[in-house]
Amino acid sequence: MDWLTNLVGPDWARAVAQLVGINVGFVVVLMIVAYTVLAERRILGFIQGRLGPNRVGPGGMFQPFADLLKFIFKEEITPSASTRFVYFLAPIIAITAALMPIIVYPFGPEVSLPFIGKFHLVIARFDIALLYVLGITSVGVYGVALAGWSSNSKYSLMGGLRAAAQMISYELSLGLSLVGVVLISGTLDLYTIVEQQGGWFGLRWNLWDISRVPQVIGFLTYLISAIAETNRVPFDLPEAETELVAGFHTEYSALKFALFFMAEYVNMFTVSVLATTLFLGGWQGPFVSVFPWLGIIYFLLKVVFFLFLYIWLRGTLPRFRFDQLMNFGWKFLLPVAILNVILTATILFLRLR
Amino acid sequence: MFTIPLFILFGAMAVGCALAMVAQRNPLYSAISLIGVFVSLACLYMTLQAPFIAAVQVIVYAGAIMVLVVFVIMLLNVEEEVRRPVRLHFLIPLGILLAAILIGEAAFILKLPGTPSRIDAYGQRPSDVGLTASIGTGLFTEYLLPFEVTSVLILMALVGAITLARRTATPRLAAPGNITTEPPELGPRGEVVIRPGDTAATGRAFARHQIEHGEAAGPAKNAGEEGAR
Repeated sequence: MDWLTNLVGPDWARAVAQLVGINVGFVVVLMIVAYTVLAERRILGFIQGRLGPNRVGPGGMFQPFADLLKFIFKEEITPSASTRFVYFLAPIIAITAALMPIIVYPFGPEVSLPFIGKFHLVIARFDIALLYVLGITSVGVYGVALAGWSSNSKYSLMGGLRAAAQMISYELSLGLSLVGVVLISGTLDLYTIVEQQGGWFGLRWNLWDISRVPQVIGFLTYLISAIAETNRVPFDLPEAETELVAGFHTEYSALKFALFFMAEYVNMFTVSVLATTLFLGGWQGPFVSVFPWLGIIYFLLKVVFFLFLYIWLRGTLPRFRFDQLMNFGWKFLLPVAILNVILTATILFLRLR
Repeated sequence: MFTIPLFILFGAMAVGCALAMVAQRNPLYSAISLIGVFVSLACLYMTLQAPFIAAVQVIVYAGAIMVLVVFVIMLLNVEEEVRRPVRLHFLIPLGILLAAILIGEAAFILKLPGTPSRIDAYGQRPSDVGLTASIGTGLFTEYLLPFEVTSVLILMALVGAITLARRTATPRLAAPGNITTEPPELGPRGEVVIRPGDTAATGRAFARHQIEHGEAAGPAKNAGEEGAR
């Protein structure tokens, strides 16, 4: 890093490094997303007693690229009654809001490379990383809501309304279930939160850290509300195909549909990363202090576990009814999340005295 | 180094979105422009070294309040406003005059002798005023009373909203005296007149009445259509 700093000064050196980091992160996340889609189709096939896509490449390895090519070459259909500008804006908002949080994922400890020197495996560290993720994902609602409105179709509108109602309902319990972790960590910086969970052979992960306050309730409420927040089964009411054809993206075709599709999977990845970082110790694991690069593997393993959990749930559970969804969110999940905040705060207070 | 260009960029974006919000005639476009204003304001807070305020700005205003606004616009399907001729002509020069006075005042305050040092004090050195820790400490020690008063205010608004929502919804639905099983009256052209107090039981009674009197030709015809499909 020093040669770059000498060449263009510290400001530009940092800007260049972060730009490179953002582009690398962008490509890696999109590749993970592509293979999550493939994994979902294969695993769902396994659960349902069939094969899934296995013809393109060895074991279906190149299926995501075949899908992408097909999306690109399909005809773009714009409904004549749609509100043109908003119709084009909606998928852009969805994918942008989904991809923006990747800059704060801490995916490894401090490592060193020849010619570059020592650096932390995170693109940007700042004071409010967790709030940043929550804020950007809350803006992602507009992609879905505006898509439903601008298509000028009843199914799309119903899907968009459902999505907006569901996402603002479950955002509350999502945020509150994270407050416990913030209380015991004393910071919103994701990298510091991961660093605090090191040692004791994984016993200091926030999920079951007895030296602080175990966040089991927070973890469960987070997991449930994260599934609802990403509109996945069993909370996929916005695109319930038995009632709404395809929900908010009924009128979208070709690459614009692909953008919504990608946004959904990037959001899945984001909530899996947050669960890993906040509850399961992020990149912490055995021998990380000796071989720092191992951290990336531990991090990816934990994230893949959550992605698998999502796919597993999709193959297992039936869909909720809308009133059940709202009752569950407001009358059960929210009080439990608040209870977790009160419990954590009380125990911390008693420990402090 | 990047702060000033970014500040100018986001400031221009905020002003542009605000103008678009006022000028648009489609309410949803206005709402989208307002979201743009909030997001660029959050970026401005970031350049002013107040990251916590920036995050809260996005979460609360762009992420929650404006979602509700968009939600209502979508539900009500508000039409585009029709352009009306200006009725009070003297308001236009008056508005321009007031705007000029406001801008003049702002410029005067910025140019007042003695003030620049106070403004520079926050502009030049990195401060920790906007950081999460300092805001939390301040909020729960020095400014505890205003904080608590605000929460009571919000609670009052909540109670008020629930009271308003209940008053219109309760009386005519489930009160015992209101439930009738009599078939409803028919209007002049044979259509059902729905009055306050009608329930599902009224509808059932109406259907029974139709079937008994042979007025319901619907089911047989529909069955034929189903078969054709």
